Amino acid sequence: MHVEFLGVSRERAGVAEVDVQAETLGRLLGALAVRMPGLAELISVDRLHPSLAANLNGDRFISDPETPLSKDDRVLILSADVGG
Amino acid sequence: MPFGYHGRYLRIDVSDATVERLRLAETVLRQFIGGSGLGARLLLDEGCAHLDALDPRAPLIFAFSPLVGSPLTTSAKFAVVSKSPLTDRINDSLASSGFAIAGKSCGCDAIVLVGRAPELSVLIIDDGEVRLESAADYAGATCQATDERLRSHLGANFRIATSGPAGERGVRYATISHDGRHAGRGGSGSVMGAKNIKAIAVRGTQRPEWAQPRELTAISKDLSRRSFGPATAKYRELGTATNLLTFNRFGALPTRNFQSGTFDEVQSISPEQLSTTRAKTRASCVTCTIGCEHIYGVGEGTVRVEYESLFALGSLCGIGDADVVLRASQRCDELGIDTISTGGTIAFAMECVERGWLDEPWLTFGNGEALLRAIDLIGSRQGLGDLLAEGSRRAAHAIGHDSIAIAPQVKGLEIPGYEPRALQTMALGFAVGARGADHNRSGAYEVDFSEKVDRRHVTLDAVRHAIDTEDRAALMDSLIICKFLRGVFEDFQGEAAAMLRSVTGWDVTAAELRETATRIIAAKREFNLLAGWTPAEDTLPDRFLDTPLPGDAAASLSRERLDALVAEYHRQRGW
Repeated sequence: MHVEFLGVSRERAGVAEVDVQAETLGRLLGALAVRMPGLAELISVDRLHPSLAANLNGDRFISDPETPLSKDDRVLILSADVGG
Repeated sequence: MPFGYHGRYLRIDVSDATVERLRLAETVLRQFIGGSGLGARLLLDEGCAHLDALDPRAPLIFAFSPLVGSPLTTSAKFAVVSKSPLTDRINDSLASSGFAIAGKSCGCDAIVLVGRAPELSVLIIDDGEVRLESAADYAGATCQATDERLRSHLGANFRIATSGPAGERGVRYATISHDGRHAGRGGSGSVMGAKNIKAIAVRGTQRPEWAQPRELTAISKDLSRRSFGPATAKYRELGTATNLLTFNRFGALPTRNFQSGTFDEVQSISPEQLSTTRAKTRASCVTCTIGCEHIYGVGEGTVRVEYESLFALGSLCGIGDADVVLRASQRCDELGIDTISTGGTIAFAMECVERGWLDEPWLTFGNGEALLRAIDLIGSRQGLGDLLAEGSRRAAHAIGHDSIAIAPQVKGLEIPGYEPRALQTMALGFAVGARGADHNRSGAYEVDFSEKVDRRHVTLDAVRHAIDTEDRAALMDSLIICKFLRGVFEDFQGEAAAMLRSVTGWDVTAAELRETATRIIAAKREFNLLAGWTPAEDTLPDRFLDTPLPGDAAASLSRERLDALVAEYHRQRGW
């Protein structure tokens, strides 16, 4: 699937987008932590730090590491503290 | 006198600089705390809801809080409370930094201004002693120039709140500026202008004692430590402006007067792009450990960049030229006008021109020079600017053609940068806001960006979440503590109670603070009721209810659904 980074997560990832294959949200986050050291401190095993949030396809927000993902999905990683 | 307070406020009639030092009962302080809450209570006590907002008898209140002057991070804040000349409802607007500490050091918990000075004047409160000086030399001066010249004249240890040229000229969304920051929304600057007060200068030596200094120090250190963490990284590293790309990605970035939720040129005005092409520095308010201010170079000067200014003067007006947007924001700061209402009113006029309802062919979406020209006309109230200085609601009534349906406002206050159809919990927050469409008194957008709701199809379950954010905001605005800290708290009310206990010595609990928040919200509603509020005001313009958001058919909010949400909100509030 395609991962998009917005705000702080983009700063830490160093890129705006990346393609990663994973069957669940938890596995995706684990893979991102390995691939992107700058992002690793905001990922605890298979969950995002509370300051970040994940969204699936621009529709619903997800946090359960067991959330299934498919290869055509787009996962957005953004600041949980949106607005201000 | 309770710890943390002086237990009195100054009521100053600026007609002749007479001052009353009036007692504040401890029960009132405990019930309303300070800031917005105390200001709302004092405004009610003045019995002025029926007066026109610009009537000299209508009070303008600067309210401090028990935490001001403490080592708690972000606590150097003050609230400005009055009837709004834009909405004719209650207005509470906050600003930060040294004015809060210096004002409270004058030996008061609030300053209430009434009357009208015989000439344009500076009100000087020097350790509680009050006098007026002529401000004839400052007439027409920008906020920044007035601040600099007054500090040079009076002494650097004075802290100054000033209105700009727009406040003098009665622009209904004029701000009060302090140290480059603004009590921005609702037109408090024009209330000050109506009193012939160009600026207020304060300094003092009187500091209340803390009940439990050791505990307060420990709490402050812990809060500061947490404020350096990931929960505030967004504000520290990119500032609020980073919302721009996020909102655009979610189709929630108001564009061309809410005709779209995405903006093709968004990258060019995003902080991610701006920081690659311009000099940037960061700054903090006094006592703040976050440092959210991102200041960019523009022309010969600099400008603080916030999301709301970028959206309102950028995408909302169809402007993708970063230099124009920054210059426009800088000009608003100089004139002392709210960037949200300025951009909202100009974008509304641009659409009226587009529809043939307004014969000002130069004023078109995407025309940067037209934006800058319109801002200057508003600041001087010349030509079309005299109409736009009234705000989009009054302008719509003058323009006719049912243009009120596309005027981007609730209760007269222009809508901030959250597309209501794409963020429907926020739509409710806007509709029921006491001061109108408001992202500072309702944080309902947080609910939309969470798993709690489907942001484009919210149900009645959203209402309790919206109320929770409104209550939390009322508490934060009364303590006062910055909302950018909200992510560091796991139990905000519990931690707030601990802060307040250490400052005041009261045996206050989280449960009591929840009741306090409800009381403060109710006080604002009480003022609005006295000012003529009716339930019909708790709604959105027709545009948002009759038309799906172009480009996102799922982002559709029916009148029936909004009405149901509002009715449920009133029911849960017990109204």
